[in-house]
Amino acid sequence: MNAIIPSEHKIRFRFVGRGTGITAAVLMIASIMLPWAYTGAALDDVSYWASPSPLQIYFAILAGLLLVLLAVPLVGKERLGKYAKLVAWNSAAKVAAVTSTVMAAVALISIALELGGLINVMIGAWLALGGAVLSIIATRYLPDSPEPRLEDVASPRWLQILAVAVIMAAGLFAAATALGYDDAGSFLTFAAFLAGVILVLKSFGFFDWLSIAGAANNRVLVLSAFAVAFAFPFTQNGSDANMSIASQVLIFAATALGLNIVVGLVGLLDLGYIAFLGAGAFTAAILSESAYSTVNWHPPFIVTVLISGTVAATLGLIIGAPTLRVSGDYLAIVTLAFGEIFRITMINLDGNDGPNLTHGSNGIPAIPDLNFLGFDFGVSHVILGVDIGRFANYYWLMLILLAIIIVVFTNLNHSRIGRGWVAIREDELAAEAMGVNTFLLKLLAFAGGAFLAGLAGAVKAHHDVSVTPDQYIFLESAFLLSAVVLGGMGTVLGVLIGATILKLLPEKLRFFSDYRLLAFGLLMVIMMRFRPEGIIADRRRALEFHDKNEELAEEVEEELITHHAHLNPDPKGFEL
Amino acid sequence: MPALAVGTDGSARVKKALDVELFFQQLINGLSLGALYALIAVGYTVVYGIVQLINFAHGEIFMIGAFGSFATWVIVGKPTDWGLGMTLGVLLPVMLLGGIAASVTVAVMMERFAYRPLRGAPRLAPLISAIGVSVFLQEAVRLFFGWIPGMPDAKSAIPYPTLTGVSDGSIQIGGVTVQASAIFTLVALAVCTVFLWYFVNRTKTGRAMIATSQDPDTARLMGINVDRVIVAAFAVGAALAAVAGVAHGLRYGNIDFRMGFLAGLKAFTAAVLGGIGNIYGAVVGGLVLGVTEALASNYLGTTAWKDVWAFILLILVLVFRPQGLLGSKAVDRA
Repeated sequence: MNAIIPSEHKIRFRFVGRGTGITAAVLMIASIMLPWAYTGAALDDVSYWASPSPLQIYFAILAGLLLVLLAVPLVGKERLGKYAKLVAWNSAAKVAAVTSTVMAAVALISIALELGGLINVMIGAWLALGGAVLSIIATRYLPDSPEPRLEDVASPRWLQILAVAVIMAAGLFAAATALGYDDAGSFLTFAAFLAGVILVLKSFGFFDWLSIAGAANNRVLVLSAFAVAFAFPFTQNGSDANMSIASQVLIFAATALGLNIVVGLVGLLDLGYIAFLGAGAFTAAILSESAYSTVNWHPPFIVTVLISGTVAATLGLIIGAPTLRVSGDYLAIVTLAFGEIFRITMINLDGNDGPNLTHGSNGIPAIPDLNFLGFDFGVSHVILGVDIGRFANYYWLMLILLAIIIVVFTNLNHSRIGRGWVAIREDELAAEAMGVNTFLLKLLAFAGGAFLAGLAGAVKAHHDVSVTPDQYIFLESAFLLSAVVLGGMGTVLGVLIGATILKLLPEKLRFFSDYRLLAFGLLMVIMMRFRPEGIIADRRRALEFHDKNEELAEEVEEELITHHAHLNPDPKGFEL
Repeated sequence: MPALAVGTDGSARVKKALDVELFFQQLINGLSLGALYALIAVGYTVVYGIVQLINFAHGEIFMIGAFGSFATWVIVGKPTDWGLGMTLGVLLPVMLLGGIAASVTVAVMMERFAYRPLRGAPRLAPLISAIGVSVFLQEAVRLFFGWIPGMPDAKSAIPYPTLTGVSDGSIQIGGVTVQASAIFTLVALAVCTVFLWYFVNRTKTGRAMIATSQDPDTARLMGINVDRVIVAAFAVGAALAAVAGVAHGLRYGNIDFRMGFLAGLKAFTAAVLGGIGNIYGAVVGGLVLGVTEALASNYLGTTAWKDVWAFILLILVLVFRPQGLLGSKAVDRA
């Protein structure tokens, strides 16, 4: 679209474009004082005059961002001096214009669908959309900005920590608000707002700076992220439905992180990974004090969880030891076959076709809640005046487990073992020639990933109350894989985001549930075609998918060399 | 139990005769099942031999073939009482052609949009893309097949028509019953193998396929249009899978959007068993797998375990003879 406007027009009309854009942004902000819908049944009531609802205020925030991006260079370029050149004002403004149009369009369509027809869309929504479209046209006439170099700014420590804390708090607020929306229209509009703000900040160069600030204050970043996640149940006011979704997300994310070791770091495609989760869950169920348990030994949970992990890891060794010698596609099919063997075996161990261990396809129901050192997970507690229900207890347990998994993952990633894994992924023959024990390392990844899945499975058994074989079908393995692929293979943050998206969207978009798998299949194909490295790209991984990209190759090389230098930002840089 | 069992050694002899009959019965069942696997397995092996890609969605091509032939049957007017001559001479060929047209179209589009852009990408990429295609095709059939005017809803299994002389009745040879659909499957496999032999060895496209599988770069230098050869490989595999789809419908009496998953997995096992990349290996592998499954379900535990035996066979082959029964080009590709 950029190519449509000749560059001399961009020079000639730059003030016209900027002025029109500012007008459009003001119109958009003004639109929230007008009613958007005829009645209050859509989008949490946007039908009032001069009394904007939260969703309308979010729209105004996005429009306000656009206004600031357009206005600041006009009034403050001289005063900002050299700093003005470090920020991509115009690119960010273009992104802001596009994303606010998307948000306005989503809101308008939602109103029309929920109230039955465009007739119910009032002037405010039309003004919002019109302003947004106008701002797109206007920002097209702005000259292109250079690449943002905000990361070159050396900022004081307190500012970095403050930024990390603010981002974390914003994340908590966003998660709580997103979960709070019950109707699909509001949820999608809010999601459009979130995506808009994130994209604007990204093109502004903010995240480049934040990632360096975060790396410099790694401990603060990790601890505050954990604290925020820990505080999440307090925002939910005892809503078990939302906490159930949240704890499911965590179980899914923990399993996906285990798979991420195998697929993301070592590059072994495991299509039967769900079987390890199932092995952990079945082990925990059989050893639990359920009346349907088939074994007469019920150790405390701390023992059970370790046994579950060990059983899963042993299965991983049994399946991995013979098959890891044949690499690549074969492994994918063998693990797929193994997943089927596991499922069929669990169905057949019903007393008719084999010894009775699992009650066949009925599975093991009525698994009691965890009782950990006298703390009953099934009971609600009131902490600080907030009801903390059953699922919140499991949420916290999974959070601790997830934290352990993340620590293990990142430490392994930066260790000798992790470097060996990446070497295997990039070129197994070369790695072997360099003296990497490829077979042992692959086996370690396979068994280690299985162990983590086994741990998660043990908690899942108690969380879900019952364990049946049909929870562990191939499609679940495919979902785990797509969480890893969507988020970004080999990254922690990416997989957490991927897992959240894949678990949260189907819960909030119920009307869409019939087309969920169709969209999922299409998404996998499109991702592989256009962005195989995922939402959050591991740069080194991205290079493998785009091996013709010389520029990226140089960046990655520089990054590897200066990896430690980044932890201590250059003192000679700009002072803010 | 026959009444002639008199005395101890007499009944032992009858029991032995019954055992032999049972063995041959299972052998026939296994061969016809194996023929089904073999027809699908050829698709895996042809594509793998040329682009070294496991076309994970090939099971879905088989399913599309079955649905395509069913749709053709509906379009023809749901005939159920045509005579033997009309069925064999007109109805069956038309249904086969309908199925082949559907599966070849889908396979060629799949190659064009999902696999061709990823050529040269890391091996993980096309495999993940293939899983996506597989899920997409299953869901597309489940959701949209019923939208085509005249077609039943495909969200649950659809009864497949019974064809006079092809899927009703059976032949009795000694104590062994051979279903008509089993004969159809075996004949189809024989015809397809002969066709395949002719196609690969005697036609220009077939020889181009051999050349490309041996060395794609040199083949390109020799003036072979490699893209076209790859499309041809997908098309040939899809055509045979569609025949298998018809055979499946006739054999089990119903078709289902999920039928491709397990059949595809078994057929892949068969392709590996015979030596992936080796076309005749796929045929042999399919037959061996079918017989193994039938015999194992009879002699090793209950039928509930038959899939487990098939997959254990796959793992054993990969461990002890990764090049397969008849050998293949290369196995250990990272």
